Amino acid sequence: MTDIAIRAEGLTKRFGDFVAVDALDLQVPDGTVVSLLGPNGAGKTTTVRMLATLIAPDGGRAWVGGHDVVRDGARVRELISLTGQFAALDKHLTARENLVLMAQLRGYNGRAARRRADELLERFDAGDFRDRLVKNLSGGERRRIDLAAGLIERPQVLVLDEPTTGLDPRSRQVVWSTVRELVAEGVTLLLTTQYLEEADALADRVVLLDRGREVAAGTPAELKSRVGEQRVDVIAADGEAFGRLEALLWEHFTITTLPEQRTVSVSAPDEVADLARVADAVTQAGIPVDEVALRRPTLDDAFLALTGHTAAESEKAAGADGADSDREPEEAHA
Amino acid sequence: MTTLAAPVSTSASGRSALSPMRLVRDTRLLTWRSLRAIPRVPERLLDVTVQPIVFILLFLYVFGSAIHVGINYKSYLFPGIIAQGLAFSVISAGTATATDMSEGVVDRFRSLPINRLAIITGQVMGQFCEQVLGMTIYIAFGIALGWRPDLTVAGGFELAGLLALGIFAFIWAGVLFGLLIRSPDAVQGLGFIVILPLTFMAGTFVPISGMDAIPRAIAQWDPVSAFVASARSLTTHLHSSGSFQLDHPQLAMIGWCVVLLAVCVPLALRRFNRTTAA
Repeated sequence: MTDIAIRAEGLTKRFGDFVAVDALDLQVPDGTVVSLLGPNGAGKTTTVRMLATLIAPDGGRAWVGGHDVVRDGARVRELISLTGQFAALDKHLTARENLVLMAQLRGYNGRAARRRADELLERFDAGDFRDRLVKNLSGGERRRIDLAAGLIERPQVLVLDEPTTGLDPRSRQVVWSTVRELVAEGVTLLLTTQYLEEADALADRVVLLDRGREVAAGTPAELKSRVGEQRVDVIAADGEAFGRLEALLWEHFTITTLPEQRTVSVSAPDEVADLARVADAVTQAGIPVDEVALRRPTLDDAFLALTGHTAAESEKAAGADGADSDREPEEAHA
Repeated sequence: MTTLAAPVSTSASGRSALSPMRLVRDTRLLTWRSLRAIPRVPERLLDVTVQPIVFILLFLYVFGSAIHVGINYKSYLFPGIIAQGLAFSVISAGTATATDMSEGVVDRFRSLPINRLAIITGQVMGQFCEQVLGMTIYIAFGIALGWRPDLTVAGGFELAGLLALGIFAFIWAGVLFGLLIRSPDAVQGLGFIVILPLTFMAGTFVPISGMDAIPRAIAQWDPVSAFVASARSLTTHLHSSGSFQLDHPQLAMIGWCVVLLAVCVPLALRRFNRTTAA
């Protein structure tokens, strides 16, 4: 039997009348990556903040490494490392001073702390800006230091709250490769994200949250098969071309059409191979098109397929209930 | 290549995060962190020094000639300015606390296996150093302008001790204030509305005995009055009277500080822990 790194039973958190997390059950086995996927207001951040002992649950229980997050918070904090949605660094310290301070707070003496900070700066390719004040760093640089600060010690359980929200694609790749290395080293990871693509790339198991509840769970492949597969969207240059396009593609592929957007959607289970076939067919027929693109199902697609409403509607409902995001209203962040 | 995650062996996890040694160590580290901000955010120190300097200049050279207190006005004014600066430490400590709490770094500290109390004690110690530094600057400014406190060595130690106690008590009050209000702007705004009148009614710039009945009654029991009267009685030959605390300013000042600490320290710690699980 595998050990369970994180277990939650009926975990609940209310802010006034707003139920941010509603009787959530969760299991993260040792050495696996579980992703909480959902839009703003779904309860992702509130859930991880309860698990990291930053806020107390109103109901239910949760254990990290077998330790109760309420009764045994100090033990939980020794096992878990949380990197939040907002860089948790002192902006008046330099990148290196931040890492040294975090290491010292973890019990390293001055010399060992400096050595560990330098290792991490090197690992995160942060040598160029190690002595710049955090307030002067770019979002991507800050996020790298933030991740490094969470990895001073090998955490048994790493919690990353929307680690790539707002990052440019390159920084996102850096974060992803870092996460993959950690997972290869055996770290258990709980990841929250708004991107289906990210959950797909990193997670063994995805839990889709909506308004504080689990609406679906499974491997990324299972979830995607329930959401619908990838498709190739072809946008015709004009109305006449759209008619020809529809006739052409209908013969060879499974299609759906969106006449208003002059778009023919071709189901593409073979991904790039299908993209090439569609592009070939269109080129050979000489039909003028504006765009031929491979589309992956987005969080919106997943939401629509699994909850019957869009992510935006869910966000709006969460907002109307009194919280502008899944953070507790009391806790403002810069 | 370096491995990403360090081995767990060097950690302090064997020791309890709640041991007093950890508290001292973590407080020291977090105080250092607050102090690093002083040269990097010069406007914070300016907040603590510019205001008293403006009041000194205004009252010494603008209003001073119209105020008659029986002794040299410079000698009368400076103890008041020092006590006013002391009272304003509520606002700066409150603002600093509210700002700190609104930033993600406190969440990081809270998620570390440290003694959580150290986050607050580090804040208090950092503020204490900042206030002492600010006070040193405007006292030096006063001496440069020709203020000569009539102070014995014993009186000097007594004054320093009282000031340290006062700063400490007011910082804790400010920390509680900052934790309750949470918005740095609101702390600043509300702080001035409450503290500024209290510091003006405290016999800081003009004698309480000449005030109208209502402000006089407030001034006789205003804690800041005890601070002003304490500092003044130690640096001049003037002795205040009119209420118990004005007759015994040092005793009253110590009393106020003890009350403030007894109320604010537990409430601040409770408030800080309230949103946390353990």
